[in-house]
Amino acid sequence: MEETEAEEQRQFSHRQRLKAAVHYTVGCLCNEVALDKQVQFNKQTVAAIAEVTFRQCENFAKDLEMFARHAKRSTVTTEDVKLLARRSNSLLKYITEKNEEIAQLNLERKAKKKRKPEDESSHSGEPDAEVVDSES
Amino acid sequence: MAGRYSLDPGQTPRTILRRVLDTVDTRSPRRRRSTQTNAQRTPLQALSSKRQGSQSKTTVRRHSYGTRSVGGLAHVQAHRRLEEQTPRTLLKNILLTAPESSMMMPDSVMKPVQVPEMVESSRQESSLGSLELQLPEPETPSTLAPGLRATSKRKQRLRLSIFQQEVNQGVSLASEPPGNADASSLASSFNLSFVPPPQSQSVKRPGLARRRPKRQPVDVGALLQDLKNNSLTSALPGDNHRSPVATLPMDEVLEDTQPFSHPSAGGSLSAYRSLPNPSPTGVEGSEGLVRHRMRSAGTGLQHMNRTGLGTIPLPFSEPQPQLPELREAVGSQEAVEAKEQEGSSGVEDSPGGPASPELSCSTNDLLQAEQPHQFEPPPPSGVAILPSGPLESVPARLPSRTRTAGPRHHQDPYKAGLSHYIKFFSFCTKRPVEKAALGIVEKCLDKYFQHLCNDLEVFSAHAGRKTVKLEDLELLLRRQGLVTDQVSLHVLVERYLPLEYRQLLIPCAFSGNSVFPAQ
Repeated sequence: MEETEAEEQRQFSHRQRLKAAVHYTVGCLCNEVALDKQVQFNKQTVAAIAEVTFRQCENFAKDLEMFARHAKRSTVTTEDVKLLARRSNSLLKYITEKNEEIAQLNLERKAKKKRKPEDESSHSGEPDAEVVDSES
Repeated sequence: MAGRYSLDPGQTPRTILRRVLDTVDTRSPRRRRSTQTNAQRTPLQALSSKRQGSQSKTTVRRHSYGTRSVGGLAHVQAHRRLEEQTPRTLLKNILLTAPESSMMMPDSVMKPVQVPEMVESSRQESSLGSLELQLPEPETPSTLAPGLRATSKRKQRLRLSIFQQEVNQGVSLASEPPGNADASSLASSFNLSFVPPPQSQSVKRPGLARRRPKRQPVDVGALLQDLKNNSLTSALPGDNHRSPVATLPMDEVLEDTQPFSHPSAGGSLSAYRSLPNPSPTGVEGSEGLVRHRMRSAGTGLQHMNRTGLGTIPLPFSEPQPQLPELREAVGSQEAVEAKEQEGSSGVEDSPGGPASPELSCSTNDLLQAEQPHQFEPPPPSGVAILPSGPLESVPARLPSRTRTAGPRHHQDPYKAGLSHYIKFFSFCTKRPVEKAALGIVEKCLDKYFQHLCNDLEVFSAHAGRKTVKLEDLELLLRRQGLVTDQVSLHVLVERYLPLEYRQLLIPCAFSGNSVFPAQ
C-alpha cells in the first residue's frame, strides 16, 4: 500500500518535472517566435501550449506503440513516425527528408565501416578519426 | 374448524374465498414451493392440504389468471400455519358444506356454484391422476374421506360429462364475461386433463381465450395481376419520362401502406414528401445503392442487408419484387449480385422520400455500424476500384436520367451516397435545417469518410498487407478512442451490431466442435 503510494508520488513528481521541462522549452520557443513576428505571448497562452504539447506527446507515444505492435515489431521505427505524421503534409515531407538524410548517413557509415577492416591492417588510428568526422 | 366459517345465506363461498384471497400477497405461482411447504406439515394435514393445494391452485389460477398465486397461498400457509383458519381449511369447509349443484342448472347464484363445482372437479382431476398438476403422491388423496369421494365421484362423473358438453358449446363463443370465461375455460381445461375426453379435440386452448387467426384467402391471381401492372408502368429507366406519373401514384400508394414506425418523425417527414420526384430519387437512390453496394460488396453480408432492412421494408417486399429489379437495371454491374440485394435496395429507393428517412435510419445504422467491418474482405484497392466502376456506368445513364428529371444539378456520385446520411442527420435534429448547413455537413462527412478509408489503407500497408483486415480496423477504433483497454472490439460488436453480423465476427463454437469464424 505504502509502496504503491510512494510509487505514485514518484511518478507524479516525475510528470511534474517533465511538464516543467516542456513548459520551459515552449516558453523559449514562444520567445523566439515573439521576437520574430513582433508579437507578445501571454503567460496563459504559453501554459496552454505547454499543456497541449504534453498531452499530445502522450498520445503520440501511445499511437507509436500501437503502430509498432500493429506491424508486429517491438521497436518503434521511422515508419511508425511517418505514419503518425501523415496528416500534416508539410510535417510529413520534413520528416521524410530528415529520414532520407539519416538513411544516407547510415549508408555512408556502413560503407566506411566496411572499409575499416580493410584499412585497419594498414591504418590503425585513422578509422577512429574518420568515424568521429562522419558523426560530427 | 368447521364452526367459524359457517356459510351465511348472504355470503357465498365464492365471496368468502375472494375475501380470503384478497388478503393474500401476490407472488408468482410456485408449485414446488407450495409442495415443499406442504411437506413440512403433519401427514394428514399435508395430504389434505396437498389435495386442497391442487384445488386451490386450479381455482386460483383460473380465477385470477396468475394474479393471485399458489405462492401467495403457500406464503399465507407458512405464516398462518399456527392459525386454525387457513384458506385451505376454508376450502375444505366449502367442500364439505357447500351444496352440490350443477353449473348447468339455471341458478340465480351461478357463481358460487361454480366454485364448488370447479373445486370438486379439480379434485376429480387429482383423483384420476392424469393432471400435470398432479403432486408426487397421487394415491394419498384418494385415501382421504373415501366415503365422501365415492359419492361425489359418482355424482361428479355424471355431472361432468354434461358439464363438458355444455361447456364445449359455450367455448365456441369468442368473447365471454369473465365469470363465464373462468368457468368455461376451467371446464374445458379440465377436458384436456381427462384421459379420454371425446369433446376435447374441438377445443384448442380456451384457457388463454385464443382467437383463431383470421386468415383471408390470398388471391394469388389478383396479386400477380397487380405485379404485372406495376412492372409495366414502372418499366425501364430509359422510359422513365413516359412513366413518372405512373410511378408517382405508386409512391403514394406505398406511402399509404407505410408502417407507422416513426410517429415522431411525422413533422420532419412532411418536409421530404414535397422534395423529391420519383425519378431523381431513383437516380439518387440508385447511386446511393451503388455506394451501398460498394460498401457491402463481397462481404457476403448481402443477405444481412436484407434482413437488416427487412424490418421496415417488409410491407413493400410483396407488392414490388418487379419494381426493384427494373430499377436495378441502372446499376447493372451489380446485377450479378444476389437478388436479395436487389430486393432490399430496391425497396430502399422506390419508397422515395417519405420512407427514406426511416429506411435511411435503418440503413444508416447498418452502414455506420458496418463501417468498421465492411472493408475487411475487399482490398483497399478494391474499395478504390469499385467507386470508379459504378462511376463509369452511372454517368452513362445519368444524361438520360437528367433529361427526364428536369432542372437538377449533376450530383457527384460520391456525394450521392451521403444523401442518406444527410437525411438521417436532419431527422435526428428534429428541426428544419438550412440547405447550406446540410451542404457543410455533407462536406464534413465526406472528408471524414475519406480520412477513415485512407487510414485503413495506410494501416494495412504499414503491416505489409494488401488487404484490410480486422486488426486495421481495431487500430483505427483504438485511435478514435472507441476501443480502449477496458472496452474491446468484441464488446462494441456486441453492443452495436445486429446479431447476424456478430455471428460473422465473434468466433463462436457450433455443434461438432466447429468454430466459426475460424480463428
